[in-house]
Amino acid sequence: MTVANGLYRRRRAANTVYLTLSWVATGLGLAVLFLILGELLWKGIPALGIDFFTKETPGPGSTGGGMANAIIGSVFMTGLATLVGTPVGVLTGTYLAEYGRDSYIAPTVRFVNDILLSAPSIVIGVFVYGIVVVPMHSFSGWAGAAALAVIAVPVVVRTTEDMLKLVPGSLREAAVALGAPQWKVIVLVTYRAALQGMLTGVMLAVARIAGETAPLLFTAVSNQFTSLDMNREMANLPVVIFNFANSAYGNWIELAWGGALLITFTILILNIVARVLASWSNRTS
Amino acid sequence: MASTLTVETRRRVDSQRIQDAAFRGATRVFAIGVLVLLGAVLVSLAMGAAPAFDKFGWRFLVGQSWNPVTENFGALPAIYGTLVTSLIAMLIAIPLGFGIAVFLTELCPPALRRPIGTLIELLAAIPSIIYGIWGFFVLAPVMAEYVQPALIGSLGQLPVVGALFSGAPFGLGVLTAGLILAIMVLPFIASVTRDVFLTVPPMLRESAYGVGATTAEVVRHIVLPYTRTGVIGGIMLGLGRALGETMAVTFVIGNANRLSPSLLAPGTTISATLANQFAEAKDDMYVASLFALGLILFVITLLVLAAAKLLLLSLDQRAAK
Amino acid sequence: MNADFAVPAREAPRPSALGRPVVRPREPLPSEQTAPKVAIKDVSFYYKKFQALKNINLVLHDKRVTAFIGPSGCGKSTLLRILNRIYELYPGQRAAGQVLVDGQNILDPAQDLNLLRAKVGMVFQKPTPFPMSIHDNIAFGIRLYEKISPSQLDERVEEALRRAALWDEVKDKLTQSGLSLSGGQQQRLCIARAIAVKPEILLLDEPASALDPISTQRIEELIAELKSDYCIAIVTHNMQQAARSSDYTAFMYLGELVEFSETETMFTHPHERRTEDYITGRFG
Repeated sequence: MTVANGLYRRRRAANTVYLTLSWVATGLGLAVLFLILGELLWKGIPALGIDFFTKETPGPGSTGGGMANAIIGSVFMTGLATLVGTPVGVLTGTYLAEYGRDSYIAPTVRFVNDILLSAPSIVIGVFVYGIVVVPMHSFSGWAGAAALAVIAVPVVVRTTEDMLKLVPGSLREAAVALGAPQWKVIVLVTYRAALQGMLTGVMLAVARIAGETAPLLFTAVSNQFTSLDMNREMANLPVVIFNFANSAYGNWIELAWGGALLITFTILILNIVARVLASWSNRTS
Repeated sequence: MASTLTVETRRRVDSQRIQDAAFRGATRVFAIGVLVLLGAVLVSLAMGAAPAFDKFGWRFLVGQSWNPVTENFGALPAIYGTLVTSLIAMLIAIPLGFGIAVFLTELCPPALRRPIGTLIELLAAIPSIIYGIWGFFVLAPVMAEYVQPALIGSLGQLPVVGALFSGAPFGLGVLTAGLILAIMVLPFIASVTRDVFLTVPPMLRESAYGVGATTAEVVRHIVLPYTRTGVIGGIMLGLGRALGETMAVTFVIGNANRLSPSLLAPGTTISATLANQFAEAKDDMYVASLFALGLILFVITLLVLAAAKLLLLSLDQRAAK
Repeated sequence: MNADFAVPAREAPRPSALGRPVVRPREPLPSEQTAPKVAIKDVSFYYKKFQALKNINLVLHDKRVTAFIGPSGCGKSTLLRILNRIYELYPGQRAAGQVLVDGQNILDPAQDLNLLRAKVGMVFQKPTPFPMSIHDNIAFGIRLYEKISPSQLDERVEEALRRAALWDEVKDKLTQSGLSLSGGQQQRLCIARAIAVKPEILLLDEPASALDPISTQRIEELIAELKSDYCIAIVTHNMQQAARSSDYTAFMYLGELVEFSETETMFTHPHERRTEDYITGRFG
């Protein structure tokens, strides 16, 4: 083994180097996560008082203020986008999973859907600008919600299809064997079996659009005041954060951090709950 | 069988047929809607961009000046910035993401695999604006005070490479943007690579370890070749995301519509230009030029993503056999 | 040919792909006065290009149990699934020939599939309770084709559960999920679900193969009881079960019907060499 000794030592050394790099890489990744979360907590918590949730965004130069109108606007537009995007996504996902086996359209739709899933959200914003803002001659909450819906749909399509495909064929066969028409098999049996998974998909979609800034920059833009008028600009957290963080006012920057903290933790909680829900449904099936 | 058919049953059967057709039709309509959506985006962007391409033609792609006042628009600085920041991001994120994937599949104690994997995935869930403000308030000052002067002092003194690291240590610039982008793309590449690594049949890995290969050798000679297509597909998907990333980049790139050889100089990307200027652009040629930028970005990402998907699909087909 | 296993002289043997003569099904026994409930005539089945069933001819009698036995892959489940055309769910699968139920060919393209399946019930190998309460599991099928009041529905549910010997165990937890039952109970639930819609024919595809021996025994007792109301076809890989529970047995091999006769005859004096080999365990 004398010949192998030198070679073996070199191999061991190379191995140690590579593996150490792997540890370092993971350490870096986790370090960044904690750095970011830490900074968010450090700078954001001071901003989260009662005022934050009850007062409107302050004008330039004025002190104090809060993010109430931004929070309301975000909730509104996210909610509307989810309301519209979920049925569209579920039905499309249903087509891909239940009817698409022998069609040419299904693979194409799946392909295009996955592309839209990763498409730049700012381009979606430009698109919605062209088809909603221009005809309406103004920025609007409708446009903002539309942009978010376009981003949410591919997520829901993907998760719906994946979850429906997990339902065992024997369950469908059992329902069909009783003489049930196909739509009842799908709606009354298959959906029910995949319900937890589909809910997970919706939650992931909400988590995704809750933090999206780019598509709102020139659709809903922002509004200094509280307004539920969907026909006009609508305040929302991400754009307000964008504007405030870039500014020179101390209170604006502080509010921006507070908003950032709020968004991040909402999204993280949604993600964690979705994961837990998904692993539950895996265990019972 | 016919004798047991009552009128009511017959009616029910007929209405069931209609219901089935209606439901199936509805799902089909929305499915086709996805295709229509893609087409609509392309058409809408193209229509909006037409005036700019009419006026500038192909010179739009290589024009260096972006001047709303003189209405002379050239996309090169933005395209350059998009490509360079993405390149920097991939150069950093690929090896790191790789290392994390190797860690998660080979080195990590089994009990920690789920939690750490989840933490990495949570990194991907953080919205890009958070990365943006973190980059702006935390990373950029660090770059300006420590990293960039060090780079200027060291690499900046070398003959050819030095041009990349010249100029004032601004903090904001192409390099910082590339770094932030790397952090954003990293968890994505790590997850996808890990998922692909997990498809290697355990027996294959075990037999490699069985002949005495080290972990690094198993990864290099067994796991990687086996998963090559999936890994490349994952990298291309990550690239597609990096190209389109907006908020993180906008905060730290300095937003200067200029070309500069130095990585430390401020620049811009297509998405950053759109983010900063679209809402205020009023006159038609300005808006059209911005639309044109959007179209260029969409087409680039479309091509990258489509290629990635095709690669991954061929992988699935091979695995199915 | 070996004299011990001579083919009975009354039929001229037809050549088969396997080189051995195929036995035609026997005429109805003198005790069977009525016409068969189901007549399977020259049925073949294809998975895309692959022919899984070759020219099957046999009959099923009402109020009798007919067992399909044979080694894995012989086509017995495939044959069973033709009887309610459940293969139509999957593109690329098709059947040829005729299956006459009460004289009507159910393989006719004009046959309404949902109606067919309301009359032909099926129980699968793996218990498949729906993700609903026990009550709703049974009610699901009933509600599809009958408009009855909630109290009548409850009666029907109870009747089905009693018939399936499950009522006493679940009567206090009808609102609990069907998935909360044990394997054997779930399978009895599936049987109750199938008989709740009052089918005429019951198809059982290895109903006890996923269950423990005690549950298996209860299922077999159940089948013996249900026989008096339904025409039952059961696929089983358990020969002792076939010998115990059925009146007629069909032995299949590689997509062909090798032998079909009364169970007692099949297991004591099988006509075909292959049948005897299978039954005595020499292969399969």
